Amino acid sequence: MLLDMRNVTMSFGGVTALRDVSFSVREGEILGLIGPNGAGKTTLFHVLTSMVSGASGDIVFRGERIEGLSTHRIIRRGVGRTFQNIRLFPRMTARENVMVGRHTRSRAGVWQSVLRTRAQRAEEDRIREKTDELLALVGLAGKEGSVASALPYGYQRRLEIARALACEPKLLLLDEPVAGMNESETREIHHLIRKVRDLGVTVILIEHDMSLVMQVCDRLVVLNFGEKIAEGTPEEIQNDPGVIVAYLGREEEGDDA
Amino acid sequence: MAVDWLNPYHLQVASFVLINTLLGVSIYVTLATGQLSLGNAGFMSIGAYTTAILTTRHGFPMPAGIVAGSVVAALAGIAVGIPSLRLTGVYLAIATLGFGEVVRVVFVNWESLTGGAVGIAAIPQMGRELLASLRDAGFAPESIGLRGNQFISLSVFLILFASTLCAIGFFFRLGSSRVGRAYAAVRMDERAAEAAGIDTTYYKVLAFTQGAMLSGFAGALFAHATSYISPADFTYHRAVEILVFAVFGGSEHLLGPVFGAMLLTALPELLRSVSDYRYIVYGILLIAMMVFRPQGLIDPPLVNRLAGKKAAGGGSRDAA
Repeated sequence: MLLDMRNVTMSFGGVTALRDVSFSVREGEILGLIGPNGAGKTTLFHVLTSMVSGASGDIVFRGERIEGLSTHRIIRRGVGRTFQNIRLFPRMTARENVMVGRHTRSRAGVWQSVLRTRAQRAEEDRIREKTDELLALVGLAGKEGSVASALPYGYQRRLEIARALACEPKLLLLDEPVAGMNESETREIHHLIRKVRDLGVTVILIEHDMSLVMQVCDRLVVLNFGEKIAEGTPEEIQNDPGVIVAYLGREEEGDDA
Repeated sequence: MAVDWLNPYHLQVASFVLINTLLGVSIYVTLATGQLSLGNAGFMSIGAYTTAILTTRHGFPMPAGIVAGSVVAALAGIAVGIPSLRLTGVYLAIATLGFGEVVRVVFVNWESLTGGAVGIAAIPQMGRELLASLRDAGFAPESIGLRGNQFISLSVFLILFASTLCAIGFFFRLGSSRVGRAYAAVRMDERAAEAAGIDTTYYKVLAFTQGAMLSGFAGALFAHATSYISPADFTYHRAVEILVFAVFGGSEHLLGPVFGAMLLTALPELLRSVSDYRYIVYGILLIAMMVFRPQGLIDPPLVNRLAGKKAAGGGSRDAA
């Protein structure tokens, strides 16, 4: 198992965003995390990367417990993530954004940087090389020098994925990477996600659109009101009565809607 | 053949321009991580007093005093920087401004150590010291056509010029490196920087400390350039003046505060002919900047244009 979440609970004040959630992620799979709005999907990413504090339960990543570690330490251990509402460094170029992502895989400190030592220059060359490779992978070749905030929306999403990949993660957390995209853009992103998986990166994907998720994901975990209500292959989930109720509501309640 | 055009007064003004340039760089360094510190006048006074006390009372050689002044200021920077991590924006500015005032009040009241409001006089002056040691070695400035006071002012200027160049070069190189990228990332989006694996706490404290250290360095040089310091040199006005360098020159690029410090220090001197009105001109200039160019005179797109680099896809930057 690459990742094990055991009995993870997270409350904000009186609201329980996650209640006793447990599931595992296998190496090399694409796991879909689905559920209605407010089900706790993004909170789960925040808990996983320590971007919120106060969660209880165990999180074991590559055999080590990571809960309570600071965010940058978790990233360093091999978790990459994107955000639901894209968080690029707006005034940096596309290339610089990805170069920042190489932070954990490089080490030059203040003096090496100022003295431009041979090791530092070699490292910068490697960062640049890897950065251009990643930009090409996500389809941004030729856009390296563009300022991030000036890129079209779809490119910004790709750039964020490239930045998350720059730290060479074992696990990539994608928070609604196709939100607001049209059908062909969505297909391209899904193609990219499979390509990333084939490079050996395990992916957890938050997605709203059920029909799309069915095509990309190997397995699904369904959250509703902070609880896991189902887990299984797309086929199993599609026929799960609990999931159908969560998404469509019961017939008796239909009158209110 | 005396070099008559070399006016010690002009050289002195130029030396103050350079010290203010160092202070301008110091506020930029901290701002590079998005932290607005107004405590740099306080750190400057710590550097100045440290070397003044060590050289006048404890027989420290001047270079050792300057290094000690910078280090003590840096330590104070760590001590202030860590608790300040909880503060951002205007709250951080107020807290650091308060810190500067506290330091000043301590210097005023700790008379046995600092001479109180009177300050410390007879601090070794770097030009005079240099001249004395050169005379011992058998060198006379007259042999290169300089009077003694010309030589003193010129050597102060040159020492400050070299120091300023080194500081600018240091932070210029730092800016285009892994550390500089981390600073910029923290400034633009702290959470995204964490998600990119950057230890934001470390880099914020590092930048804060570097700013404090550079202020302390500037203060130590100031002490040895003027040979007399008092708490009145490090008041709240000094803190605001440093801030204005960044506001006027621009805080998005290293050259902004450098340029701001140079222009705003030299301007009142150039306008001396209209002496009583020069601060009015100064004030109007600042208001005009706020209205017409709030990001400051110099911003990265301008630097890129001047450097002949055309930023692809430019023209859309945040008006931050």
